[in-house]
Order: sequence, then structure tokens, then C-alpha cells
Amino acid sequence: MKALQLTVNGKKLQVMVPEHEMLSTVIRETLGMTGTKTGCSQGSCGACTVLVNQEPVLSCITPAFRCEGAEISTIEGLANAGELHDLQKQFVEKGAIQCGFCTPGMVMTALDFTRKNPSAKIQDIKEALSGNVCRCTGYKKIIEAVATYVSESQMKKGKNTKPAGAERKYGIGISRPSLEAGRKVQGMADYADDYPLKNALHVKFVRSLYPHAKITGVFTDEAKAMEGVRYIACGEELPVKFGVLPISQDELAMAIHKTRYVGEIVAAVAADTEAIAEKACQRIKVHYEPLKAYLTIDDSLKDAGESERIHEYGKYNNNVHKKAELRFGDQEKGLKEADIVSAMSFEMEGVSHGFTEPHAASAWWDENGLTIITATQVPHYLHRALARTLEVPLSRVRVIKPHVGGGFGGKSDPFPHEIIIAHIARKTGRPVRVRLNREEVFLTNHGRHPSRMTIRIGAGRDGIFNVLDADIAIDGGAYGSFGVVTSYYNGVLLQAPYKIENFGFKTYRVYTNKPQCGAMRGHGAVNSRFAVECLIDDLAHRLNMDPVEIRMKNFLDADSLTVGQYRITSNGSVESIRKVAEQSSWKKRHGALEYGHGLGVGCGFFISGSALPIIRNELPQSTVHLKVDFDGRVLISSGASDIGQGSDTMLAMIVGEELGLSPDMVFVLGADTLLTPVDMGSYSSRVTFMAGNAARDAAENLKREIINAVTASLGIPGGELLFSNNRVFSNDKTVDLDWNKAVEILTAKRGAVSVSGKYISPKLGGDFKGAGAGLSPSYSFGACVAEVRVDPETGHVKLLHVWGAHDCGKALNPMAVEGQLEGSWHMGIGQAMSEEMKYHEGLLLNNNFLDYKIPTSLDTPDFSTNIIETIDPEGPFGAKECGEGALHPVIPAIANAIYDAVGVRVTRLPIKADEVLALIQKKKLNEMKEQML
Amino acid sequence: MIAENKYMLAGSVDEALQAAKQYAGSYRFLAGGTDVISNKIQGNDTASCLIDISRIRELKEINGTGSWLKIGSLVKLEELKNHELIREEFPALIQAAHSVGSPLIRKTATLGGNLLCENRCVFYNQSEWWREAVGYCLKCNGDICIATGGKKNCFSKFVSDTAPVLIALNAEVEIADETGVKIIPVRQLYTSNGINSLAIPAGSLMKSIQLLPGTGLRCVFMKLRPREAVDFTSLTTAVSVDGNKKIKIVLGGVDPGPVIYEPEAGFDPEEMLEKVMKKPRMVDNDFYPRGYRREMIKVFIRRSLVELKII
Repeated sequence: MKALQLTVNGKKLQVMVPEHEMLSTVIRETLGMTGTKTGCSQGSCGACTVLVNQEPVLSCITPAFRCEGAEISTIEGLANAGELHDLQKQFVEKGAIQCGFCTPGMVMTALDFTRKNPSAKIQDIKEALSGNVCRCTGYKKIIEAVATYVSESQMKKGKNTKPAGAERKYGIGISRPSLEAGRKVQGMADYADDYPLKNALHVKFVRSLYPHAKITGVFTDEAKAMEGVRYIACGEELPVKFGVLPISQDELAMAIHKTRYVGEIVAAVAADTEAIAEKACQRIKVHYEPLKAYLTIDDSLKDAGESERIHEYGKYNNNVHKKAELRFGDQEKGLKEADIVSAMSFEMEGVSHGFTEPHAASAWWDENGLTIITATQVPHYLHRALARTLEVPLSRVRVIKPHVGGGFGGKSDPFPHEIIIAHIARKTGRPVRVRLNREEVFLTNHGRHPSRMTIRIGAGRDGIFNVLDADIAIDGGAYGSFGVVTSYYNGVLLQAPYKIENFGFKTYRVYTNKPQCGAMRGHGAVNSRFAVECLIDDLAHRLNMDPVEIRMKNFLDADSLTVGQYRITSNGSVESIRKVAEQSSWKKRHGALEYGHGLGVGCGFFISGSALPIIRNELPQSTVHLKVDFDGRVLISSGASDIGQGSDTMLAMIVGEELGLSPDMVFVLGADTLLTPVDMGSYSSRVTFMAGNAARDAAENLKREIINAVTASLGIPGGELLFSNNRVFSNDKTVDLDWNKAVEILTAKRGAVSVSGKYISPKLGGDFKGAGAGLSPSYSFGACVAEVRVDPETGHVKLLHVWGAHDCGKALNPMAVEGQLEGSWHMGIGQAMSEEMKYHEGLLLNNNFLDYKIPTSLDTPDFSTNIIETIDPEGPFGAKECGEGALHPVIPAIANAIYDAVGVRVTRLPIKADEVLALIQKKKLNEMKEQML
Repeated sequence: MIAENKYMLAGSVDEALQAAKQYAGSYRFLAGGTDVISNKIQGNDTASCLIDISRIRELKEINGTGSWLKIGSLVKLEELKNHELIREEFPALIQAAHSVGSPLIRKTATLGGNLLCENRCVFYNQSEWWREAVGYCLKCNGDICIATGGKKNCFSKFVSDTAPVLIALNAEVEIADETGVKIIPVRQLYTSNGINSLAIPAGSLMKSIQLLPGTGLRCVFMKLRPREAVDFTSLTTAVSVDGNKKIKIVLGGVDPGPVIYEPEAGFDPEEMLEKVMKKPRMVDNDFYPRGYRREMIKVFIRRSLVELKII
């Protein structure tokens, strides 16, 4: 330890710091200024950016002592006496903030850049932000925010202009920033690792070095003897298995007797500091006896022979986890009858969510039992898993979701680290915290399954599809997670958006000795959608039809049933594809551009909430409480998890609209399983539809209470009253009350009033086995056109533009919807172009943000974003999902654009230059051969 | 015994050299530190004494007044483009510098640091735990190269993007040690041995990079990487030609050291490309497969020669 002098945001400080400490650690931990985030600890993501003597630095790789005597500016110092800096205002106003985890770093980078480049152009801004990874927004709104700040600063010079957002209108269908955007942009929003915790222990893990091995001994004596080590936990202490699905309870908090992937937790150390815990982990010796490892789909499909299987259960002596198969009509007959059949095999690598906030959690026990603050999308399922694994009643567990730095499905399972710290907190009687480093985040995985599939699709000469048959194998990794659902989704979600009578699929999900796969944005159907949309493109070309036209011929109608009895209500497929075709000048340009330049189209659809809860029971899928008290404020409490997508804001907008209240009268308490009623969580794109409907129901119930109270107090017959502009009134003005007066009447002699609203999905679907998979009260639809330039000598693909349209029913908050669409496209582009999880003998090779290649602002093309509104009959104000479905069409649109550009069909993801080049060369060779014949 | 961690801010070259002597065997000079610190965090670098040279003012200057242009080793990659003479005479150096890392990295990373960037390999630039799991490779005191499944040579990649350009431009560097200052060609900074890739002796410090303007040397820089920012190179090429049509081709990112090829006058381009392509010792330790990177050597060099109007 050595004394370090710093001036931080104008305040002179002296702190004692270890000599090799990084600046980010000093800022966050020594000074407690947690607005600055750390996302990668290697300078690859930019989340930790602060200014040192007015120059931006990556504080996670800047030694603190380099800054001796320097002036440090962090996000906390930017606003002036409560007023946001103009740049911060633009981030808020333009919807540049979703999860908000990258925001502080992004703002600091942009601040420095715009100071030095006061007249920067869009391309300069893109370039300047290319070291700051955002996983939510697709960068579009961030770039817009910075560009607007630049142009307004230039116009403003000397002039006094109105602050942005001064005359905002509020209501359904009107864009507004999220409730917490102001807090996020100032670094005031607390994420899981930001909570101060008195007297806490820090936990680190011993992780398996082998993909598949018997554990013959764990030796902890040396570690136990270390000063500052308080507890060492091993697998036997937590013997109860868990898993997010009731049918896949196959996971343990720590391995017992054997380990199933490299990186699986074998033991955990709790110590006074993270550094001590880490050192102690290195001194724990684990003896392994390696077993045959199953690393590929083929390994696992085969009979295991004498070798030990990954899991013991299952009928056959192989490592198949789940076989899902459904058939409608007759595929063989369909294939025979088809005039043309397209059949191809596809392979997709696994991809990871890449949320910028690493997992982190804190847990403690007190008179109320366990409390855990953790970065989760599903507090409710975690609540159940903790009660189960810790063997305590449900009433002894409280899960608090803080601000969450992105999830995308990757924070929707209960995790070993959450169970372990809860356990150690109980054993030691002390609060315990943990945070994973980026490598550990990648090892925790639960990302998209590596997949391979052979799909056949047939059509008549008229282009009408008559058959689709899919044979799919997916690599689940070591545990079940959501895998049973994924197995079905891969196949079953191919029954739309097109009418196909003879439809069938078979999916195998295998266990392998790799980190487990699970649910990721667009869950289950992204890879098979890619395949099918490529095949349709092929069919169109071979039939000499326009790929847009052939799709138009086959779309399902609104208010129809699919072959597997999905109830399609509103359907914006036609409007979506028309929109993107028109905007991209498709008719004129597709098939007509010069060699190397191409346009491609893809479509998609997705569920808007699973109609069946994961755990079958009679609870509503979402319950929302409203409380109104003497001050007139309405408190919404909901278990729905805002992880940056804006669901808290959505709830406030719905309740505000129903009750005619201004936003300052509506507050949201979200996702605390002691204080808020159950919501299933943020997965399957269910929150707007289900929690939104529950909120609306609750607001209607509150209205009824108020109408009853008011009419009773006035002695007039009950009936309808209107709620608008903070007033409660009748058309004839016999009732005309200020909201607070109405509340006074409501609460008189009764006190605060609480009402409840709920959502329960209607009974849907057929009565065959597997009919429940993919059932949803509503479905979203969409389309994308991508424009690419392919370098025929290098195979390099440059993505020039994406036009996207998505039918979200009704955009409650258009800016938030656009943000979801742009983020989805960005994530799809990553999977299409550069992202993959690569393994070496079961060991993940690219477990960091340098080697796992999330597109930067420079790799992300311009988006033309189109919201299609079809007003769903059952969605709140007509809304349905927009957070996942938009990802589906973009990947095939890119692949199909490559075909248009250079005439080669890419069937593997990610699309790498070497493969594109090889295909181009093969095609040329074939053409030469043909010419010679 | 684990040495106690030290951090020293050196105020002058002498001070830095003194400290290096005092902590011989356990120190690391820190310029921008963007690579060194990442390597330290992952446990690739275990130096217990960090000698921060980033405040040595004399190493931050660009001096273009003499016949040689002297760029201080601590000039940041981002700053090169601000210098008129560099812009006019050596645009390829600016392009190379601009291709390094991200804008944030370039505001911290220095030209000297980029030249002395440690070789990289996906089997080496990993955490301590990871390297234990894979079974330590040659570069971390193991017995074999993991990337090749057992060879006894290290194929870690030489990744400096500015070095190929500087070599192609016949740049030299000033190296100071206790005994004084000597000037060596950039090429001599490298051993082409993956395990210990830098030839700069312990106890010495790079002071400046020197270029001779006005020679009519022209240079084309190209870089292969998956993303347009952040990524280290999968292939860097620098091709220069002087007034006498003498060509120099330098490759980075494909071999444990820079690969240099100087074709004889009157060469056959396609034959020459075949030869260059085969020179690097390349293995599959990159985002792109080895065969593809070889093929790109040909494409990049051909394109560079076209741009230089040589073919």
C-alpha cells in the first residue's frame, strides 16, 4: 500500500492503494464511485472509460499510480448541480440508453471526442465510438445522440435554446425515455456489483480443468490455513439438483464426484478480500481421473460403449438429452408431389449473449431469511431454485433484481454462483459477494446452441410451399438448461410465417462436455430460421421468382391457424416485407446490381410470450399491484424484470394512460420477490404482453374502485367516469374532480388502497403431445433486407445497410421499440458475421471481448428502422413483442444478399471471409469445367 | 518468496535505466501499457516492478528539423497524424497506427510500445487457470506448442502493425542503455523466436524512431482483421518501393517475427508472390485459418504492387 493523490471531479483526495492496483478498482472500490463500470478488464469494451487530465483512458488497464497527482473526471462529475450535461440529455432523449452499463464509458468517450471535434460528422462519431461496446442499442441511437449534441452545440453558440424535452407529451404511442435513463446517464443506477455491503466476504471459485473427469479428491487444508480465508465450500454441501425447467433438474451448484465441462465449479472460497480468495483457490488441489470426453454432436449421438456417459439417465447408451419430433400432414408425400425441392445442410456455431455487465451477486441472511441481490432476468425462478437447493421454505427467500446490464437470455437460469454465495452466507453468518470476470461469464455460457440441420422444403411451380421437413441436431453442452424448449423451438417455430401443410421435424439435443447452452434472444428458432429463409431464396431463384414475391404468396393470413394449431391473430408479414422492399428499391436493384454487390431478404416471426409457464401451476403469468395513498401517487409493483429493455417504463405508461395521470404521479417498484407479486420474468418476449396486460387490468380495477367511491360519496348512480389529465370526470361534468380529490374520496375512512391485476393466457393449442411448444397468445412478424458488398478476391463481406420492419402490434413507446429492433439486428449481425464460441478439446478459446467478436460501431451498418402496427386484439393497447423476433430475418437476409452479390450459398454461421472465398473459387472452377465440356 | 509489487514513475531516461538496473530481472517498462497491463492481469507477465516511463517528456517529442525525422518512442499512436511531415512523407505509418486497437487504445498506446508489443497466441494470451487447463505451452515454460498439437517450436504471432511499415521504410531506432545510445534498424528489435520475441536487451530503453524523409520511398499498408476496430492483426503487409524501384515487402501477424522479402529486379510477379506466401511459419492460432491467411498474403501484396504502380 502506498499513498496516492488524486483530484476526482474537482475533489482532492489521498488514498492508500496497493502499488499495482488499476484505476478502475480505485475509483469503484476505494472511492465507492461505481458509476464507472468494468466489463472486460482488458481494455476491449470501453465501459471503464474516464478522463485523466482531460484525456480518455481505459481505467481497467490504467495503473492507479500512473495518475499520481492527476485530475480524474468520472461520469458522476458531469452533471452540474443536478442539471444534466447537454450530451447526457441527448443520450436520455434519443433513447441511447437501454441497460445503461456501457453508458458511462460511452458518454465519457463521446464527451472527449466532441470537445476536440466540435463539428464531427456521423462517420467520425462512429469511428470515435468504435472502442466502446454496446450490446443493446445497435449503436444507432447512441450515434444519433452524439450527432444531435454536436449539431445543437454548434447552433447554440451564443443563443439560449430551450432544454431538450421541455414540452414533452406523454401517452401510449409517444416516445419517451425510460424512467431510469437520467439515473443511468449519471452513473447513479446501481447494478449488482455496485451495492456497498458491510463486512462482506468475497467468493472465488476453483474450476474444473477437465471436460469430463471423476473427482477423486479435493484438498483444501493449505487454502484453509491462509489468513483471511473464512470458508471453503465443496459440492457435497449442496447436494440438491436444480435447473430452470422442472424436467431438467440436472445441475449442481458445485460438481460432486465428477465434472462435466472445463470451467465447472468444483469448490468455492470465501475470504476477506477477492485477492485472498483467488490465491486460496490456487492452493486447493483437486485430483481428477479423466473420462472420455464427448465434444461434438457426433460423439454424443453414438453409442457410448463402455465409456461413462455424461449423465446417467436416458433410455439409450448415448448422450442424447432430448429428442423432439412433431409431424403434420405427410412430408414424404409432400416431397413427392412438389414440383421443386430445395434441400441443404447447415451448420451454426454457438454464440454468447455478450451482455456488457458480468454476473455479480450479494447475499445475506437475517431475521427474514435469505436476501440476494443479483443480476437476473428471472427473480421468480431463482427464488424457487434457491429455496429448493438450500432446502428452506419459499417464504425464507427474497430475490432483489437491481439494474441489470443486459441479459438477452443469459441471465435467465438460476446460477451456481448465486446458490453458492447464499449457502456460504448462511454458513458464515456474513454477507457474501461474488462477481464473475469476463472469462467466467463466457464459461457460464447458456448461449445459443451450436446446431446442424438438414432441411428440405418443396413447392409447386407456382411457388406455393407444400412441404417442410427438418432434421436438426443441437449441442446442448453439459446440462439441460432451457434445452428441452430449445429442442422443440428449433423445429416447431418453422410452422409460420408461411402456410405449410406437410410440416414435420425431428430434433436431437445432445449433452457434450462443454459449458451448457440455453436460451438466447430469438430462442431456439434463429438457426433454423436462417436455414429455411436461405432455402426459400434458393427456391425462388430456381423458380425464377422474386424472393419477395414468393414469400408474399405463402404468408399465413391474419386470424388463422397454423398446421400445428398456433392461433395467429394480427399479422404484419405483408406490410413488413413490402416496407423493406420498397425502401431498399428491391424491385429495381435485386438481381440487377454489379458483381460483388447484392441485396437479400429474410422474414421471421416469434412468440409473444409463452402461453404455458415453465412450472405448471394455476398462478397467473403476471400479477401487478397498484397502491394509491393520501399523496395521490400510484405505486406499481410488479415482478417483471427490467433488464434494460424498458419494461418498468412500459408499466408506468400503461397505468398512466389508463388512469389519465401524468408521469410524475406513477412510480414503479420492480422485481423484488418479497415486495412485488409474481411475474415469471423476462424471457420468451412475454413482458409487454403479459405484465402489460396485468398492469392494465390492475388500472381498470383501480378505476372501478374510484368510480364506486366517488359516485357513492356524491350519491349518484355508479357508471362510467373518465380519467384524463389528472382529473376524474363525467361527460356531463356532474363529476369533475382533481385526481387528488378523487383519491381523497377513495381513501377516506379506508386508507391506502391496493388493487391487483393479472394476466392469464387463454387456453390454446391442440391436444397432441408437444402441442404446447411455441404456443403464444400472439405472434410477432417481420422482415429485413440487407445490402452487402463482397470482395471476390478476399471473400470479405461488408455490410452496407439493413432495412428492417417488425410488426409489434402497437408501439407503446416507439423509441424503445426501435431500440429493441436495432439491438436485435445488431446481435443477429454479430452471429452472422463474426461471433462464435471456439473450443480446443472442450476448453473455450475465445473467452474475452477481444477474441469473441461483437461488432463495433464501425462493423454495424446503418439501419432503416420501421415499426409495423397491426393492433393485436389481446395485447395491451394492441401491443406484442419486439425484443427477439426482429433478430430472425437479418441473418438470412445477409446470406441471401451474398448470394445476390456473388452467387454463392453460405450455409455456415458465422459467415467468414475464408469460406466465402472458397465458395467463390469453387463456383468459378465449376463454371470453367462446364465451359470446357 | 514473492517479490513485493513496485510501481515507479520515472522522470527521465536515466532514472528509468537506473530503476531497471535496480530491479534487474523483475521489471517491466510501461509506456502506454495497454498490452503489458492486459498481460499482467492475465498472468502472462509477472514482473513485480513496473517502471512507468510515460512521463519522460523528452521521449514524447517529434523532431523533424534535422535530416532525420525523430519520433519519440512515447508519441502516442493517435498523435502521429497531427504531424505534417509524417502526414506528407509517411502516410502508411499513420494508417498502420490508426489500425491498432480502438480509438481509446490509440490515445494511450505509444509508437515505441507498439514496436515492442509482445508476440501473441490464442493458446498463450489466456488466464493462468486457462493455461493450466490446456497444459502450459512452450511460451509459458511448457514442453510443446499446443496450437500445433506438439511441435517444439513456438508460433506465437508477431502483431505490431507499425513495425512492418517502419521496416519497409528503413526506419531505425535509438536504444539507450547505461553505456550510451546506439542506433539499430527496426528489424533488429526482433528475434523471430516466438518465446522471446524481442531482441532489445534487458536494461535498455527505446528513445526514438528515426525516419529519413525526402527519399522518395513510397509505402502501402494493409491489414486483415475480422472487425474494423479493436482486433489484433491476422495479417499485416507493408510494401515499399524507392526511387530505384527497389521493392521491400514486410509481413506481420503471420510468423513469430516480421517477414521481409526483397525481390530482385526484373522479378516475375506471380512467382514472387508464391515465394512470399510460403515464407511465414504460420499455424492455426488465429480467427482465420492458416491457408486463407497465406492466400491473402498474395492478394494483399498484389494489390499493394498495383497501388504502387509496379504491376
